[in-house]
Amino acid sequence: MRDFVLKRVAALLLPFIQMYGLYVIFHGHVSPGGSFAGGIVVGLAFIAFATIYGLERGRAKVPEKATTLVESYGTLWYGLMGMIGIFKGAPFLANKLAGIDLGELGALSSGGLISLIGLGVGIRVASTMVALFFTMMEDES
Amino acid sequence: MTATIKANLPVFVVIAPLFVAFVLPTFARRIRLVESLVIAVGVLGLLGTGYLASLILIEKGIPIIYSMGGWSAPWGIELRVDSLGAFFLLVVAGVSLPVALFGVDNLTHEVGGSAQTTRFYVLYLLLSGALAGMAVTSDLFNVFVLVEVATLSCCGLVSARNHPRAAEAAFNYLILATLGSALILGGIGFLYIITGHLNMGLASQELGRVWRDYPHVVWMAASFLLVGFGVKAALFPLHVWLPDAHSTAPSPASAILSGLGVKGYMICFTKVLYNVFGTTLMREFAMHRILVLLGMIAIIAGSILALAQDELKRRLAFSTVAQVGYVFLGLGFANASGLTGTLFHMASHAVIKSGLFLAVGAIITTTGKHRISEMAGIGKKMPITMAVFTIGSLGLAGIPLFSGFIGKWYLLSGSLEAGGSLAAVVIIAGSVLCAAYLFPMIRIAYFEPAPVEDWQDPGVPQRIALVLLAAGVVILGVLPGPFLELAKGAALELLGSM
Repeated sequence: MRDFVLKRVAALLLPFIQMYGLYVIFHGHVSPGGSFAGGIVVGLAFIAFATIYGLERGRAKVPEKATTLVESYGTLWYGLMGMIGIFKGAPFLANKLAGIDLGELGALSSGGLISLIGLGVGIRVASTMVALFFTMMEDES
Repeated sequence: MTATIKANLPVFVVIAPLFVAFVLPTFARRIRLVESLVIAVGVLGLLGTGYLASLILIEKGIPIIYSMGGWSAPWGIELRVDSLGAFFLLVVAGVSLPVALFGVDNLTHEVGGSAQTTRFYVLYLLLSGALAGMAVTSDLFNVFVLVEVATLSCCGLVSARNHPRAAEAAFNYLILATLGSALILGGIGFLYIITGHLNMGLASQELGRVWRDYPHVVWMAASFLLVGFGVKAALFPLHVWLPDAHSTAPSPASAILSGLGVKGYMICFTKVLYNVFGTTLMREFAMHRILVLLGMIAIIAGSILALAQDELKRRLAFSTVAQVGYVFLGLGFANASGLTGTLFHMASHAVIKSGLFLAVGAIITTTGKHRISEMAGIGKKMPITMAVFTIGSLGLAGIPLFSGFIGKWYLLSGSLEAGGSLAAVVIIAGSVLCAAYLFPMIRIAYFEPAPVEDWQDPGVPQRIALVLLAAGVVILGVLPGPFLELAKGAALELLGSM
């Protein structure tokens, strides 16, 4: 695609779209949205980049190996965060029971492990979106 | 350290396969490592479930309740290892380990290169984890999530075979199974609307209070769940996806799909039926009659359809349809013997059918023949494989001293207690038909003259897997003690929650 306007606008907007996605991921416990929705926004930024700048350049940004790694370890990250509870002698996925400081209600730092768990879910959703997109596009061509 | 592990075993048996599954793709190149990880998870799972089952046996069925994140029942998700859970966990761990062992060094020709083999194991572990979760969960929405995980991994496993027919079968399965999932979700939704609870115990209590006000909603929920789980568990006439899916999948996948896959949905259905609706509502809405009727039809129709098949794997797949009928039949009896029989039959069929599918897989791989009429001489050339096949067939037909006998015996006494003499006749007729469709293969394999070919039993891991499963059939038949005790405990538990 050779559309100058589209490329410039995308170049201006995509960083902010990604920041917004990360914002939604980390604010999952205090505002609407959450890690799944935020992960989709982050993934869509990569997909938009690949559709506007071409598949090859998109692939260069996120190689297949990267999506595989993020997908695998994003989920493992969730598991590790769940295991913190077990290491502290509380059940799996325990938060306050595991002795995590829950902070002040409504503050960003108030969810304990939730935003960290959300990070795992978010990056996994993002990389799955990207992987699905590239799988379908590369099958076609 | 050990105390922590013991205290958290109910959650470990579910999450360990899931998390290992997610890490596997990063080792795709090192197939040895992938295989050893899968086997290690299987062995640890068997040890863990064995420990849980022994705890339940020692404590005489007092359930172990695990609250995720420390949030107890109405707010959090509850895992509940009771006799039923421990029993099915043991079945899952006991069958999935030999089946995984069969895949070692043996999958490449069926699924393709090492990347595809890794993908296969990822789906395999996801399915095992989901099945373990189904055994222990007591949350209705968790049931739906696990059903979805299991369904999608099953579709993936079917399509793993490097063959266009496999893709077609997987697609058919996907469509029907998604329909089933939607119905299950609908049914759970109806239950949630009138009870306001997702925890099975609390939903059951509330349902006992309010069902008179909402008889139609209860009807809708029950029928949605019956059809939804019926599609997934291949209850005749909703079985149409099963023969294609199970006969085109790679052999270890056929084994786990037929042996464990359909059982997971049945366990979920059993839990929803008895732990949520309870026997009072079942009788009030005549659900037990419907189940008995559908079960009888499935036994006869599945057996007759199996007789008509000449392809080895298709005959086994239709035989699964017939055996599913036994399970639904026993669920309909709603008495202790019937339920014990159903549960024991589930376990014995899981072991037998995986053994049969693996044996047939070994035969097809070695000889390239997949029709029953071409099996001549295999008994002499592949003695171990064919011995396992024979033990499995004897077990499935319900010959005494093999595992199938005990399940059918209890089902038979359950049917007589429930006053269904027609059902008793159908159970016996099913056994006779089962012998009719399995024994000719044994006759052809052993007594027809052998062609001059250089056929051999499969490699060492495959032999170990086959022998383990055959040993399971014999042990369950000769020394059923602890398994039968767990099954009896589970039956009483299910009936007690009315």
